[in-house]
This record gives sequence, C-alpha cells and structure tokens, in this order.
Amino acid sequence: MKLLRRLNYLWNRRRLEAELREEMQVHQRMVQDELEENGLAAKEASLAGRRAMGAAALMGEDARGVWISPWLESIGQDLAYGARSLRKQPGFAAVAIVALALGIGLNTSLFTVFNAVALRPWSVREPARVVRVFGVLRNVEKQFDTISGFSFVEYRYLAEHTKSMTGLFMMRGEGGLRTDVGKVRAAYVTANYFRVLGVEMERGRGFMAEEDRSESPLAVVVLNYTTWQNRFGGDPEVIGRRIRIEELPFTIVGVTPPDFFGTNPEPTDLWLPFSGMVLLSPNDSWPRTFLRDRNSCCADVAGRLAPGISREQARAELGLLRVDFHNQFGEKSLGVVLAGTAPLQSIGRKAKNFYAVFALMFAGVMLVLLLACANVGNLLLARAAARRREIGVRLSLGAGRARVVRQLLTESLLLAGIASALGVFVAWVLPRPLFTRIVGAVSFPLRPDAAVLAFTLGLAALACIAFGLAPALHATRGNFSDALKQRHGAPGGRLSPRRFLLTVQVAGSVILLVGAGLMVRGIQHARTLDPGFAVEGTASVSFDFPTSAYQTPRVAGFYRSLTQGLDALPGTRPFGFTALEPLGNTKNFTSFRLPGQGESHENAILTNSVSAGYFETLRIPIVAGRNFGPADTGRDVLLVNQAMADRYFPHESAAGKTVIIDKPLEIVGVVRNAHTWTLDEVEPALYFPISYGIPPRLLLPHTAASQAAVAALAKGLDPRVEMRVTRLSDNLDQWLSATRIAALIAGMLGILALSLAAIGIAGVFAYAVEQRKQEIGIRMALGARPAQVIRGVFGSAARSLVVGLVIGMVGAIAGSSLLRQYIFGLSHLDPITYAAVLMTLAAAGLAATYVPARRATAVDPVEALRQD
Amino acid sequence: MERKPSELLPGTLDLLILKVLARGTMHGYGIAQWLKTISDDVLQVGESSLYPALQRLLLNGWVKAEWGASENNRRARYYTLTAAGRKQLTAEREEFSRVVTAIQKVLETA
Repeated sequence: MKLLRRLNYLWNRRRLEAELREEMQVHQRMVQDELEENGLAAKEASLAGRRAMGAAALMGEDARGVWISPWLESIGQDLAYGARSLRKQPGFAAVAIVALALGIGLNTSLFTVFNAVALRPWSVREPARVVRVFGVLRNVEKQFDTISGFSFVEYRYLAEHTKSMTGLFMMRGEGGLRTDVGKVRAAYVTANYFRVLGVEMERGRGFMAEEDRSESPLAVVVLNYTTWQNRFGGDPEVIGRRIRIEELPFTIVGVTPPDFFGTNPEPTDLWLPFSGMVLLSPNDSWPRTFLRDRNSCCADVAGRLAPGISREQARAELGLLRVDFHNQFGEKSLGVVLAGTAPLQSIGRKAKNFYAVFALMFAGVMLVLLLACANVGNLLLARAAARRREIGVRLSLGAGRARVVRQLLTESLLLAGIASALGVFVAWVLPRPLFTRIVGAVSFPLRPDAAVLAFTLGLAALACIAFGLAPALHATRGNFSDALKQRHGAPGGRLSPRRFLLTVQVAGSVILLVGAGLMVRGIQHARTLDPGFAVEGTASVSFDFPTSAYQTPRVAGFYRSLTQGLDALPGTRPFGFTALEPLGNTKNFTSFRLPGQGESHENAILTNSVSAGYFETLRIPIVAGRNFGPADTGRDVLLVNQAMADRYFPHESAAGKTVIIDKPLEIVGVVRNAHTWTLDEVEPALYFPISYGIPPRLLLPHTAASQAAVAALAKGLDPRVEMRVTRLSDNLDQWLSATRIAALIAGMLGILALSLAAIGIAGVFAYAVEQRKQEIGIRMALGARPAQVIRGVFGSAARSLVVGLVIGMVGAIAGSSLLRQYIFGLSHLDPITYAAVLMTLAAAGLAATYVPARRATAVDPVEALRQD
Repeated sequence: MERKPSELLPGTLDLLILKVLARGTMHGYGIAQWLKTISDDVLQVGESSLYPALQRLLLNGWVKAEWGASENNRRARYYTLTAAGRKQLTAEREEFSRVVTAIQKVLETA
C-alpha cells in the first residue's frame, strides 16, 4: 500500500508538489494575519512574514523529501549491504551468478531467435502498418498451405483498384544470378517497392514506374548496403556504374541503407524490377507468360494500410476486389487473408510446426532456469540458516519482518541483475552463429532488442521471486529468541523447503537428461538406418545455364546430347536424372483422386520426376510392374512407391491401376520405399517420367573417371555451362547435422542440469552433516558404525532424491512423446536411454554425497561434543 | 515570541497531530494553533516540522487531505483522520504512556 502511494506520488509529482507549495503559502499568510491582529504594524508584519518565507523553500524541500528520498536511500543501503554480503562469500556468489546467467542467457538467446522470426516485423518505416496479403485456397486434406501468392495480372488488378492500401507491391526471390562480382541472391520487385516501404536510400534512388514495364524494360538494379560495401568496396561513385548480370549490363541506380534487410528471410544482395525477368531470359517465354497470363502463379504481395484503415477493413475490401476479378472469368474466389511481416507470420499452416519446435525448446531452457533457480534458492536457504542469528538480532532490535524480507530480496535482486547482464551478453554472441549453422544465412539481425530486454527483465524478476522469496520468508519465520539461543542454526524440521527443491531439481534433470539422451540415441539410430537407396558412392551433378542465352528447348537439347554422350562411355553407368536432389530438403506435392472418388476429393501426395535410370542408379528395385521405358516420355504413365500402393490399394496390386490428376494416368509399376525425401517414415509418393523443362540433376557413380567424363562432355556441349557436384553422403550428413547440433545442445542442457542437480544434492547433504554434527558425535561415541551414521543422516534427504527420480521418470515418459518426430523413428521409450539416465544420476548422486559422507564419518566425537 | 519552542521527542509530533485530528478535520495552520493554545504556548510547531510530519502521515495512509475554504475564505488543505490513523493513534498512545511511565519511574527512583 505504501509503495502504491509512493508510486502515485511519483506519477503525480508535479501537481502534488505545487499543492504542497500552495498549502505552505496559505500557512504563511495566516501567520501574517495573526501577527497583524496582535498589533504589529503592517510593515513589520510583512517583514516577519517574508523572513519566514525565506525559509519556506527549504521547508518545502524537507516536506517533499518524506515521499521519495528516504526510500531511495534505504534501497541504496540494501544494495550496498547486499553487495557487501555477496562479496564476503565470493564462492556462493560465483556459483549462483553463473548458474543464473546460464539459465537466463539460454532463455534470452532462444527468445532473441523467436523474437526475430516470429515477432519482429520488417525494419521499415511504421512497420505495424505494413501487411502481407495472401489469397485463400481450398483446404485440401489439411496438408497444403491454405494460402498462396497472386498471379502478376491479379496483383495489378488489386493494386489499381484498392483504396484501403496506400500502396501494394509484389516481390519474388530469385535463387542465384551470376554476375561479374560473383553469384548473388536477387529479388524482383515492383517499382513502388522502396517507396511503399519508406526506405530512405543510402545512395541514389529506388525504381521508377517507367523502369518496370515489361514491354520496354530498363536494365537497372538497386544494391544492398552489404553488397555495396563488400563487392564494390563502398565506392562513393557507385551510382551509374555497371554490373553484368547473366552477361547483360545493368545500371546501378541505388543503394539501400544498412538497417534495411529486405523482405525475404534469406539475404537479398540486389533488387531488380519485375521487367528485369524479361531482360534476363530474352529467349524464354516464361517471364512474359508470368507477367501477362492470369493463370501463371505466383508471387508474394504486401502493402501499406491507408491512414485510418484497419486490417479488417483492408481484408474485406481486397477480398471483394478479388471476387470481382475472378467474376470476370466466371471463377469463384475465397477472398484474402492479411498477415504480419515477421518471417513466421507469413507462412500459414507451416508456422504451427515451428511454434511446436519453439515450445519444445522453451520447455527445455525454462527447465534449466528452473533448476538454476532451485539451486540458488537452496544455497540461499543454507545461507539463511547460517544467518539466522544475524536475522534474529535484527528482528529483535525492532526491524519489521517486511523490512528484513526486503533486504534479503534485494540481495536476490542483485544476483538476478548481474546474472541478467551476463545473460544478455550470452544472447548477444550465441544465437547468430548457432542459428546460421542450423538453418542457414538469414537477412534479419539476431541480436537482443528492446523486446528481448523486456523479456529478460521480466524473467529476472520472476527468477528472483522464485529463488529468493521462499528463503527470505523462511528465514524470518518463527520464534527468534530460539534462534538467538541456538548455536547451530535451525532445528531439523526446517529442512523441508530444501528437500522440496532437491526433489524439483532431480525431477527436472531427469526430464532434461532423458530428452538429451533420446536425441543422441536418435542420431545413432539414424546412422544405422538403411535409407533404402544407394547413398554411398553416388554423386549428384547440377548444371547451371546462362539464363539469358537459354530457353527450354535448348536445355532439353543439352540433356539429350548429354545422355547420348554418357551412354557411349563405359565408366559412367548406371546414370539417371531427377528433378529433386535426394535428401535435398525440397518436397513437391500434388493432389490426385481415384476413379471411384468424387470430383471434389483430393489426396495430397509427394511427387518427383525421374528418368528410368534413376531407380537403377540408386538401386531402388521395382517390386511390381515395370520401370519407365524410352517410349514413356510424354505418355500418361507414372510409378508409385510401396507406401502409396499400400495406402490406396491395400489388398490388390497397384500396377495397372489408374489415378486422376486432371486426366487419368496409368500406374505402370511400384518401387520399393526409399528415404529420398526425409529420414523418418516414408510417405506415399508418385514418380512422373522426367521432362527437361526445369534442369534436372544427373545422378551417377562418384568416381574420378566419371566426374572427368561428365565435365569433358558438358564443356564440349557448351563451355558457359557450370556444373556443381555433390556427394549424396554429404546430403545425408547435412540432413543429420541440424539434428546433431540439436542433440549437442540438448546434451549440453542435460549436462548443465546434471551439474546443477549435483551441486544441489551436495549442498543439501553437506548441510545435513553440518547440522547434526553433535548427534553424529554422540552416536559414534556410543559405537555406531559409519554405515549406520550415514543412513541416519542421509535417510530423509535420500528419500526426496528417490521421489524426485520417480516424478522425473514419469514426467519424462509423458513428455518425451513430443520428441517422437525428431528422433528418426526411435521409440521415445527407448530403454537404453532411460537406463543410462538412471545410472548417470545415480553416479552423480553418489559423487555428490561422497564428500559429505566422508565428513560425517570423520566427525570426532570428542570435538563434536565439546562444541556446546 | 523570542523563546525557542520546546523540542519534541522524535515521533511525538506525529502522535500529537493524530490526536488533534481525532477531534475533527483541520488545516495545517489550525493544527499548529491548536497545539500552541492547548499547551499554553509551550509547543510551538513551525512549518519546517509540521509539513514533513503531515506528509509522513499521508504517506502512511493515516490521514487524508482535501482542499476547502478557510474561515476567511482562503483555499486551505484540510486533514482528516483515516480508520488506519485512528488505530495507529490508539497504538501509539499506549506505547507513549508506557515510555513516559518508564521515564518517570527512572527519574523518581534513580
């Protein structure tokens, strides 16, 4: 209550101080009135009054001071006292601060990442007013994203007609372009992109409308700040310079500022107007089709809400416009959805998986923080017991209990404050390299910002209450004349909160260790897993064509010649082509229906396009029917895997059956299941005969001779074509590396939890010995054996250890099912993991009790008895 | 007028103000006047101690203040005892008489 009144005073300070001033002036005048009444001449009265007034300013100061300064002073005293008592026990302070700093640092690091991918919008002007716009799609078996981008034509219609947005722009990432300053990641944007986002150019300008006309495209480009610095040496005269992209000259018209990171999760090195697509592929029909055909899908759309327009209003208006657009062609439309611009906000359904992963990781790091708090709480309790006499003295000298609790809490706050500062430092250095290792390069910064600092402060306050309040209340409880009389701390019963914390710690570390153990075992399991295809000794070759000189027929021609060349060579067989790299992290889906199913019925399924040689090269056997033959290209045939056959044709042979994807297609064969997409359960999949529209990858045996042969063949066909070779075993390693890092992190969390628990156990047991020295002495004197003494002293603490172990095991069994999809099909009840955790904890428990036990049995009865 | 007002024991001013306010609502000057009159001019409380004491009482929630018009139509702040203040007054009175009795006992016997 007092605190509330103080805060209210601070809040209304100006008004309240003015009131006090006025009140004191009134008082002065009343004094003057009285003096006059008593016969003093008016002149003298006013003089006396003024003399009194002179002191008034000072008096006001005193009266104001009542509210704030003693309070600040006492906080200062508490802090100084707290710092002093921490300095007196540097070992305690160091252990507590390191444990808390790790707990807070891990949480802050994780939140830094979460903040960057799920909360923080694009760094543009007024980011809250910028939204992404998606079209709503049919919800097909809940397996696809239910949202999509727009065709360019539809975007143009929306952008021209909308009144709820001050600007709507379109953007499309372009994987890699070859330039005279190396490979770059580019993005195509509409000309209004930088203007709508409010990007103040570092140099030059953004695009102009006349630069983005597909009928008269201009070769202009805007550079990213980093590109400008790293590839152009920060040249101040860069505007107007030329850069050759795909062998065509482009003029640099602008450079973005360093705090603009683009609108893609991946870094964007430079931006081109959409019309640049036409320039870069002059012989290809696709860019023109994309810019002119309303059925050519899709690219992302975003824009800025008009002043005073809410998201809901904009959604309604854009939805209606979309319906109008589709009505022209007699089509139905399902309207639009708007999303924020943080990376995870714009990926629809898929975000759920990411949130689940984050929830799992937060559970882990929160558990570590909880353990750290339990540990520090335990240490504080031990200290409080040791300081009972001091606290007893202070309480009996008349200090209020609240005052002493506050003092003790200030000490905790000091610990939490120092630990938080260290934690923020951890979050400053840790997330970026770790995240980049696991996920890849990102455009947005991974550093703590104001939101992260607020999170950390909240966490520190919570932690402080978690570990500090109970010990403080505990220490100031009970009868203090007892405490003063007693020489050796509290009676035995007072141990209970410490035993409770011990139980929590043991349970928590069991859960973390089981999680970590399962991840590590999962990795082991994945290594022994048969992927179902030839990973070792197979290479994948991708070809890179200069897009400005190539178009689809020419690419197909290249592959035809390549196939003929390879056929003629002896050392390169078997070889095959595939649209998707095995274990290459890309999934393509389509939907089909069976002849008996209604037209609206759609089954989602994985697809790939391959040549007949694919199965031979990867040693995936045909289990029914036949492989693709030379006559199959362009025919309506496909192959399915065993998983597809089992699911949709459970009691019959799938070969010879028909599926419908727009038109009927015949299943000519069934292939054995292979983990070519992911390492967990094989999903149903369709294989189409390959067409060479999108350059496929070549798979062949990985030998020096075959590499040389392919390189020579490709050079002979076109020296400008670049080729890149990867080993499939590298893909497998990469696939495992993310999980390996995750397992490493989980393992470190587990070890951290274990050491925290061990420190806690050792502390509790050492305290038990210290407290019962006399009793031990008497028992020893009466002839008790060491084993009996140990059982007597540790019995109760050991019980809480076992209880913690049981609770932890139950928690781990219940919680570990969440991990199932990250452990490659290993059972989450894997007995080896649980046995290992039990043994590790038992070993740690023994190690932690060894020293206190030695001390207990080494008690000299005479010494112990003489103490009192 | 020239005589210095008597020094109060620390804490007693707060008690006295509470007691005065137990009679009814009063402004600061009124409280000082009342104390002076009742104590036959022995207790003369200046603003330098009166207003910090009043602020202390406000902070503790023992009195509350409201603006009103004084006898000669000046705007003045009137103080009223709260329920918590009444409780505090009883407690402090008991404590005070205990201390005074003790002091007297010492003075008489020693």
